[in-house]
Amino acid sequence: MLFWVIAAILTLGASLAVLLPLTGGVKGSSPAGDHDLEVYRDQLSELDRDMARGLIQPGEAEEARAEIGRRILRLGAAAQSGATNSTSSRSARLLASVAVLAVPLLSWGLYGMLGSPDLPSQPLAERLAKNPADSSVDELVARAEAHLAANPSDGKGWDVLAPIYLRLQRFPDAVTAYRNAIRLDGDSAVRQAGLGEAIASAAGGIVSADAQNAFEAALKLDPANAKANFYLAVGLAQEGRKAEAVAAWQKMLGQLAPDSPWRNAVQQALAEAGEPAFAEAAPANGPDAQQVEAAQQMSPQDRQAMIETMVAGLDDKLKQNPRDEEGWMRLIRSYVVLGKADQARDALGRAVAVFGADSEQAKKFTAFAASLGVTATE
Amino acid sequence: MVETGHFALVLAFALSLVQMLVPLVGARTGNQRLMAVGGPVTVTGFALTALSFAALASAYAGSDFSVASVWENSHSLQPMIYKITGTWGNHEGSMLLWVLILTFFGALVAVFGNNLPASLKANVLAVQGMIGAAFFLFILATSNPFLRLNPAPIEGRDLNPILQDLGLAIHPPMLYLGYVGFSICFSFSVAALIEGRIDASWARWVRPWALVAWMFLTGGIAMGSYWAYYELGWGGFWFWDPVENASFMPWLAGTALLHSAIVMEKRSALKIWTLLLAILTFSLSLLGTFLVRSGVLTSVHAFATDPTRGVFILCILTLFIGGSLALFALRASRLTAGGLFHPISREGALVLNNLFLTTATATVLVGTLYPLALEALTGGKISVGAPFFDLTFGPLMLPLLAIVPFGPLLAWKRGDVIAASQRLMAAFALAIAAVLVTGLFVDGASVFAALGVGLAVWLVAGALTDLAVKSGAGSVPPVVMLRRFAGLPRSVFGTALAHLGLGLTLLGIVGTLCFGTEKILSMHPGETVELSGHTLRFEGLTPQKGPNFTEDRGRFLLLSDGNADGEITSAKRFYPVRQTVTTESGIRTLGLSQLYLSLGDENKDGSVVVRLWWKPLVTLIWGGGLVMMAGAAMSLLDRRLRVGAPAKRRKPAAALASPT
Repeated sequence: MLFWVIAAILTLGASLAVLLPLTGGVKGSSPAGDHDLEVYRDQLSELDRDMARGLIQPGEAEEARAEIGRRILRLGAAAQSGATNSTSSRSARLLASVAVLAVPLLSWGLYGMLGSPDLPSQPLAERLAKNPADSSVDELVARAEAHLAANPSDGKGWDVLAPIYLRLQRFPDAVTAYRNAIRLDGDSAVRQAGLGEAIASAAGGIVSADAQNAFEAALKLDPANAKANFYLAVGLAQEGRKAEAVAAWQKMLGQLAPDSPWRNAVQQALAEAGEPAFAEAAPANGPDAQQVEAAQQMSPQDRQAMIETMVAGLDDKLKQNPRDEEGWMRLIRSYVVLGKADQARDALGRAVAVFGADSEQAKKFTAFAASLGVTATE
Repeated sequence: MVETGHFALVLAFALSLVQMLVPLVGARTGNQRLMAVGGPVTVTGFALTALSFAALASAYAGSDFSVASVWENSHSLQPMIYKITGTWGNHEGSMLLWVLILTFFGALVAVFGNNLPASLKANVLAVQGMIGAAFFLFILATSNPFLRLNPAPIEGRDLNPILQDLGLAIHPPMLYLGYVGFSICFSFSVAALIEGRIDASWARWVRPWALVAWMFLTGGIAMGSYWAYYELGWGGFWFWDPVENASFMPWLAGTALLHSAIVMEKRSALKIWTLLLAILTFSLSLLGTFLVRSGVLTSVHAFATDPTRGVFILCILTLFIGGSLALFALRASRLTAGGLFHPISREGALVLNNLFLTTATATVLVGTLYPLALEALTGGKISVGAPFFDLTFGPLMLPLLAIVPFGPLLAWKRGDVIAASQRLMAAFALAIAAVLVTGLFVDGASVFAALGVGLAVWLVAGALTDLAVKSGAGSVPPVVMLRRFAGLPRSVFGTALAHLGLGLTLLGIVGTLCFGTEKILSMHPGETVELSGHTLRFEGLTPQKGPNFTEDRGRFLLLSDGNADGEITSAKRFYPVRQTVTTESGIRTLGLSQLYLSLGDENKDGSVVVRLWWKPLVTLIWGGGLVMMAGAAMSLLDRRLRVGAPAKRRKPAAALASPT
C-alpha cells in the first residue's frame, strides 16, 4: 500500500514538472542576438581587466578590441532577420496536453508490465531476524549457518545441518558439515555414511576412494548400514565389477526390513544393472507381476533365456547366502521345471550339505525333491 | 524500496521522452512555454534517476537477493565497500550509473544555463533527452536491474573476484563521468546544427565541458591502467586491449576537441571543426560503450553477454552517430566559419595538434575494429597487438610530442617560430643533456631509451619555459617576475601542468620499458633473490582466511646490508563461491620506482614460483595522469572569459621577444 502512495506522489511530482512551465507566465526573454552581445561586452571588459593586470600589452589589447567590435557589428546585421513568435498555437497546446498526460499513462502502463509491486524488499538481515515459523528452509539454513559461523565448535549444529545440506543438494557444504560433526561429536555409522554420500554426490555420483573409506568406516561401526552397503555396491558397479555389485544388492534385499526405504533404491539399481530383483526374501515369491507379464510377451527362446538367467541369479544368491530354506526349494523346483535333473540333484546335495544331513531341513528337502522325482543319489 | 526505484526509473524514462520532444518543438516554433518545459523536466528526471540508483545501491548494501542482479553479483559475506561498489560492478547497474551521470550533467545545464539563449538551451536539453530516452529504453528492455526473484534465494553468487577491489569504486565512475561528459559537447553541437548557427556563448560553454570530461576521462584511464597493473599480476600497465582502446580513442579525440575549443573560444576560429570533433568524440564514447557492453569483446568488462543487448546498442550507435553526421553534412554549410589566421601561429599549432591527434585516433580505431570486422566477415581470428600500435601510433605521437612546447609560446593569429625556438633553447639544451647523460652513464641504455628520456625532459622543461617566459624571465627583474608569476591566469598554469604531466607520463613509460628488469624463479622458504640491487628473502607461505576467500600469503623481506628493510606480501586468493583464483601482487614503492612481485603456482617440492619485476620510475606513468588532471582542474577554476589578443601584422623583432 505504501508503495502505491509513493508511486502516486512521484507521478504527481513528475507531471507537475511538465505542467507548471506550460501554465506559468512567459518571462520576457531576449532574442539570441542579445546573448551574443552580452558575451562580447563581457569580453571587452575582460580585456580591460587583463590590461590593468599587465597580462597583455596596450597594442595587443587595441587589436583585440577592434576584432570584438567587428563581431558586434556583424551581429547587428544578422539580428534584423530573426524574430521569434511567442504566441501559443493550437498544435502547441495539443502537444502540451499530450506531454502532461503521457507521463502518468506511460509510466503506470510500463511499470504494470515490468514491475512486481506486490513483492516487498527483502534485505538479508531482516529475513534472518523474523519469526522462524515464517521462514523458508533456505532462511532457516542461513540462520543455522550464521549460528555456526559464530560457534563453529557446536557439533550438534553441524550434525543437524549436514543432512539438510544433502537434501538441498549443497554437497560440498554437506561434506564440510559431516566432517565437522565427526570431528566434534565423534564417529557414528550414520555420519560416516552421510559423509560418504556427500562426497559421492559432490563428485556427480562417483564413489571415489574418499567416499569408499567413509562407507567402510560406517560398516565397521554398523555392518547392516543400508546406505553404506548400497553405495559400496554402486562403487563396485562403477569399477566394472558388476557381478559383485549385483550380488551385494541382492544380499541387501535379503536383509532389509520389508518397509525399508532402501528397498526401492536397490531394486532400481538392480534393474539398471540388467539384473532382476530376484531374491526377494519376504512374502513375494518368484518374479513379480511385471516380470511375468514381460515374460508372457516374449518369444519362447527369450522367455527360456530370461527364466534361465533368473534361476542362475537365484543359484548365485544361494551360494553367498546359503541358509535360505525356501530359496533352495525354489531352486530345486526351477531346475526340475527346466528339465535340468542333474543340476536339480546338485542343488539338493548342496542344500543338504548346508544344513547338515541330519537336520530337519535336510529331510524336508529330500522329501520335497522326491515329490518332484529327484533323489539325492543316482 | 526496490519497487520504488523501479517505478522511478520508468518515470524517468517517460520524462526523458517529454524532454526530448517538447523543448525541440518549442525551439522550432519559437514557443517560449514549450521551451521552458526542458529545464524542470531535466532536473526532475535526474532526481528520479538518482532515487532509482539509490534504491538499487541500498538493495546491494542490504544483500536483497530478491533482486536478480543483486543475487547474481553479490554475496552476504563481502565487505560493505564491495557490496556498494558491486552496484555498478555488473552490466545492469553500470548502465544505470551511465544514465545517472547523463541526467546529472543534463540537470547541470538546466540549472546553470540561464545565460544561454532560450532556443539553444531548449535544443541542448532535447538532444540530451534523446540520448537519455535511448539508454533508458535500453535498460528497461534488455538490462533491467530491478527484475525480481520470488522466492528469493538466500545467498548470492558473489561479485567477480577481480572486481572486489577499491579500483571498482573509482575507475568506472570516473570513466563514465568522462564518457558522458562529452555528451554535453555533443548535445551543444547538434543543437547548433539544428539551429543552423553558432552563438558566441556556444564556445563559452563547450570548452569547460570538454575540460571536465577530459579531466575525468584522464583520471579514469590512469586509474584503470594502475588497477590492471596491480590486480592482474602481469606487471603491465597498458595492453592495447580493445577495451582500453575503447576509452583511449575518446581521450585522443577529446584532447583534440579541448585544443580546438580553446581556439574557438579565444579566437572564434575553427568553429565547424570543433563542432565536428565534439560529435566524433561522443561517437567514440558511444562506440566504446558498444564494444564493452555488447559482448563483442570478451573481457572482465563484458560481465554477461547477450546478443539482444549488442543489437540494441548498435541501433543506438547508428542512430546517434549516423544522425548527427547526416545533420552535420546537411547543415554545416549554413554555419558561418570563424576568423582567419596565419599558418604559423597559436591557432596553426593547435590545428597541427588536431591533425596528429585525429590521425592517431583513426589509427587506434583501425587497430581496434579491424580484427573484429575480420572475425565477423571471415570468421578468422587475428590479434592486433602492441607491434601494430608501436609501428603506427608511436611514429605519429613522437613528432606531436616534439612540437608540444612550441604551441603555448606562439602568438595568436601570427606567430614567429624562430622567436619561440630562441626561448626554448634552454629546454632544448636540458633535453640534449638528458640524452647524453642517459646514453653515457646509465647501463644498458639503448639509443631509443636515451632519446625517449630526452623527449620527456624536453616536454617538462618546455612546459616550465612557458611559465618562465610568461612571467617575463630574463627581461624583468626577479621581483617583478615573481609578482607576474603569481598573477598569471590559472589557465596558463593549467596548460603548463597538463603538458608537464604528459612529459612525466612519457618519462615513466620510457623508464619502465627500457630500464626495467624481471626474473622468474622458484623459491624455497629462506632463499634470497637479487634484482637490480634489491635483495629479497622468501619467508614462506601462510594460509589465511578473508571474509569471503581463503588465501596463501607469501611473505618476502626486503634486505639491505643483511637487515630487514620492509616487507612485501603477495597472495594467491581462492574465492569458493565463484571457484576463482586471483593473484594479489605485492608492490613496494621505492622513490618513484616500484618492486613488483607476484606469486605463481606451488611446486611439488614445496618451492613456489615467484615473478619479480623492478620497474624504475613506473609511478610517474599515473602520477603524470594526476598532474594532467590537476592542470585541467586549474584551467576550470579560471573564471575569466577567454579573449585571445591577436598579434599585429608587422611587429618589430624586439616586441616579439616581449611576453604575450
